[in-house]
This record gives sequence, C-alpha cells and structure tokens, in this order.
Amino acid sequence: MEELKTISDLAQLGGGVAIGFGAIGAGLGIGFATKGLMDAISRQPEVSGKAFGFFLLGAALSEACALYAFVIAAKLVGLM
Amino acid sequence: MSETGHWVYSIAIGGHGFSFNLDTIFTMWFAMLVVLAFAYISTRNLSIIPGKLQAVSESLMRFFWGILDTMIANDNKKHVPLVASLFLFILIANLMGQLPLRIIHLKNGELASPTNDLNLTAAMAVIVLIYYVGMGLKKKGLKFFLHEFSFTGIIMFLVELLEMITRPLSLAIRLFANIFAGEILVTVALGVFAYLLPLPVMLFEILVAFIQATVFMMLTIAYVSSATGDEH
Repeated sequence: MEELKTISDLAQLGGGVAIGFGAIGAGLGIGFATKGLMDAISRQPEVSGKAFGFFLLGAALSEACALYAFVIAAKLVGLM
Repeated sequence: MSETGHWVYSIAIGGHGFSFNLDTIFTMWFAMLVVLAFAYISTRNLSIIPGKLQAVSESLMRFFWGILDTMIANDNKKHVPLVASLFLFILIANLMGQLPLRIIHLKNGELASPTNDLNLTAAMAVIVLIYYVGMGLKKKGLKFFLHEFSFTGIIMFLVELLEMITRPLSLAIRLFANIFAGEILVTVALGVFAYLLPLPVMLFEILVAFIQATVFMMLTIAYVSSATGDEH
C-alpha cells in the first residue's frame, strides 16, 4: 500500500519543488526590473511614466517564467 | 468552482476522436460578438465630428498606429488588422473572467474567460507564427530563411530552428498560465476569506488582463518586425 502511494506523493513533492524554484527566478527578475526602474526614475524623473510602462512589460515577461513552473506544478499535482 | 474541468464534447469523425471544450467555445463566441459589435456600431455612422464611440475607436487606432510606428520601420499599417483584433479579443476575453458568468451552472466546467484554455491560446500563437513566417516570405522570398536561419554553423541553425518552436509555445503558455493562475488565485482567496479578500486579487487580475493583452500584441509586433526587417 505504501509503495503504491509513493509515486503520487513524490509527484506532489515535485510540484512543490517546481513552483518554488520557478518563483526564485521570477522574483529575482522582477527585483532587477524594479531596481532598473528606480535607477531610471532617480536619474531622470521626467521619464517615469514611460519607464513604468516598460517596467510592467518586463515584469510581466519575467513573471511568465514562474507561471511556466506553475503549469508544470499543476500538471504534477493533478490540477489540470 | 472547478479549476480543472471543461465541458468536453467528444465526437468521432472518420474514425478519429475529436473533443471540443464547449464552455471555451461559448465564451469565445461571446468575446467575438462583443468585439464585432463594437467594431460595427462604432464605425456605422462615421462623421467628421466624432461621437463618443467613434472617438474611442479612433484613439484605439491611434494607439495601434503609434506602437506599430515605433516598432516596425516602414509599411507598417498593413499589420493593423491582425494586431488590433488580437489585442481587442484577448482583452475582452481576459476581462470576461471577472464577470459573474459562473452563476450560470453547467453540467461540467464553468463559463469563465476563454483564455484559461490552452487550446485557444495555442491556436492564436500558431496564427501569429504562420503570419510572421508568411510576411517574411512575402517580403524577402526564400531569402527569408537565409536571414532567419543564419547558416553560420550547425549549432546556430539548431538554435534558430528551436526558436521557431519556442516562440509560439511561450506565447501560448504565457497567456494561458497567467489567466489560469489568476483564477486559481481568486479561488484560493475565496477559500481563505470569502467576503473581502478576493476583491484586491480581482482588481489585480484586471491589471493582468490589460498587461497580458499588451504583451501578446507587443511580442507579435516584435516577431513580425524581426521577420520583415532588413537587419540580421
């Protein structure tokens, strides 16, 4: 009984690991993007509106990397 | 509220089994209807002094023209139909997820935004792939493949070939995963504290709807620009 359950248990564990490591990368990416935005605004406050648009775009692009990991995790734990 | 189930309708045509996600099809038709009705009503009585709807559609067109002008050098107005319909359709489809359509109970699945189905986003991504390859072939002829696959080495060729696959894959999965994760986030917030907590999450989802429509459109324009541009 225990042996039969291990594979699905390990899949749950794998889902957790997948979303965890994926979130590390996306967090770093959004952090760097915010750093760049802050640098740009403090250097040139007049571009803040334009820079914020590009920041949102870049943040969405790097957030998508975490969501790829989320799709893998959802597959592993059986959400999809 | 199930995150998993779609209302699947299976049929066998010529010995092959096909299955359709009916809830996705219904909500997709609804989004298409909204976009088509907006396009029809706003362009029916065009006048020199624009009314409200005409002003909205004119500023939308100016928005698309501005973005195309900044990203594609010349002859960029012909990409407006694809770009504008992609943006408007994805925007309406994403925003539909925040409508209370879920109170209409189906046998399986639910009526949410149609972009929470990978099939729809993958179809749109494949349309974008076909469009930019076709535009590149039309502009440069067979030299498009020389430009696209820079035949400098076998490794670079393989990387460029891989890019042709990963571009539509990442387009599809990005949009799908954002909307899907948003719905699960709303579900989790509903489970934690149902009266106030989903509200900020839903507001965030409205922001995500706009951003994802913009990202899809910008990446489409960037791919078309790199396929038809002279540099490489």
